[in-house]
Amino acid sequence: MGERGYDRIVRLVAAALAALVFLFLIAPLVVLVTSSFNQAGSMAFPPSGLSLRWYAEVLGSPDWQVSFRLSGLLVLLVVPTTVVIGTLAAYGLTQGSFPGRRLLQGFALSPLMVPEIIVALGLLYYFHGVGLVNSVTGLWLAHSLVALPFVVRAVMVSAAQLDPALERAALSLGAGRVRVFLTVTLPLLRPGILAGAILAAVTSLGEVAVTALVAGANTTTVPLRIFSAVQYQLDPSMAAVSTLLMAASVVVMVVADRFARISEAL
Amino acid sequence: MTRRRAGLPYALPLVAFLAALFLVPLVRLLRLSFSPVDAFNAALPGFTFEQYARVFTEPYFYGSLLRTLATALLVAVLCVALAYPAAYLLARRRPGVLRTLLFVIVISPLLTSVVVRTYGWVVLLSGNGLVNRALVGSGLRDQPAQLLTSYPAVVVAVTHVLLPFAIIPLTTALGGLDRNLHRASQTLGAGPIRTFLRVTVPLSLPGAVTGALIVFALAMGIYITPLLVGGVTQPLTGIRVYDQVTTVFDYPVAAALSFALLALTVVSTGLLAGVFRIWERRLHG
Repeated sequence: MGERGYDRIVRLVAAALAALVFLFLIAPLVVLVTSSFNQAGSMAFPPSGLSLRWYAEVLGSPDWQVSFRLSGLLVLLVVPTTVVIGTLAAYGLTQGSFPGRRLLQGFALSPLMVPEIIVALGLLYYFHGVGLVNSVTGLWLAHSLVALPFVVRAVMVSAAQLDPALERAALSLGAGRVRVFLTVTLPLLRPGILAGAILAAVTSLGEVAVTALVAGANTTTVPLRIFSAVQYQLDPSMAAVSTLLMAASVVVMVVADRFARISEAL
Repeated sequence: MTRRRAGLPYALPLVAFLAALFLVPLVRLLRLSFSPVDAFNAALPGFTFEQYARVFTEPYFYGSLLRTLATALLVAVLCVALAYPAAYLLARRRPGVLRTLLFVIVISPLLTSVVVRTYGWVVLLSGNGLVNRALVGSGLRDQPAQLLTSYPAVVVAVTHVLLPFAIIPLTTALGGLDRNLHRASQTLGAGPIRTFLRVTVPLSLPGAVTGALIVFALAMGIYITPLLVGGVTQPLTGIRVYDQVTTVFDYPVAAALSFALLALTVVSTGLLAGVFRIWERRLHG
């Protein structure tokens, strides 16, 4: 009897601890979203009244508009770049058999293992030499480098489950290699490619560790503008931008999910 | 039987891309770290250990390396400790709305820019933020504490940012556990705490170790989060490198400090992995 009660207490304590951890994870995000609707000009929490004035301010500001456009443009450049390079590589690395395959797999994921400050500094110094600092091209390449390992990893999961017999069947039925890749292989890899595309988009939208060093006055992405602003001022407009940035990530995920289901139904 | 499939040509675009934008920049940075410099910190031809000598003799630099190592270890321990209850709950829940919700909470920080996540902490910890209001309101303090720009704030925010990387592998490991082992331990008379320590922890150790190593390696190089909540004076290597580049424009020293950090990360991750492997072998015989 007493033992059962003791069990229950232990279980309750464990559940309470878990609840605290989830609260810890979500608290900063909830505080941010809530204070973006604050009526007053301070970051006071809880807010004194609800208003959309900070959203109006942010969306009406030319500086922020430039940043929104730049961040959007980068997503449109980075996703296709990383998905094409990453999908080909993931396919070759999982389905192929050639000497040095394991080594190459490690190399493909290695930008994830190197401390972010080193990747950032390396690119800054390199971009200085070739005149890519403060350029959209520079950010496109930098974001692609950071996002690429996530795409490779995501597509590799799908590629590992790929049944080579299906491709062989298509080949024996007379389809050429390119046709097989486009009509058999790619559709089979779709879940991984889609996951990779989402990760690439979200990575580019939020990237700041490398951006903070290689961007300049003309290439201030949304997260970088938040980064600069947070160091000097605290006002609810930053919470509004942060909320918009989070919303953009959610939209990317939902749209991608929709798209996937639609094509599955076809 | 089956034809050997080449595969290598498919990986060539990736190899070319990484060579051009990852290897070449790192090699050039390494070269720079050994270059003599003129009075304006511009690199000259030649070879010198001068930068490394500075990094390993000036406490401003080597102190930051030690502090970074200690911080990364602390954060890894905190993340695994916090990950256990969360992953346990996540792994034991049957699929359903609540489980999906909990999972979304776990990965939500990963889908949110590190700037946004950190900014949430800046708001929470600021002078009139929620934490200070709670401290003053409950009478624990009579005036707001200076929570931002403090080392504890750095540890809390970095732990928050990296926690999902510990929860995810641990959830996978705990989810793969045979529930019968649990029941067997209970029928043999072990209480829930003893079962957790003697059955659950040893069996989920690979997941915990994976999480700890990832968190540790990421914590060694993180710099945006500690910079935003801790300020530029925090003695962490990432911040020192950033500061050297953006305010002093001393690239060669920043490069040497970076490679010292990289070496320290690789060596200590390898050592930790080795220690864990020995520990696992002891546990499982």
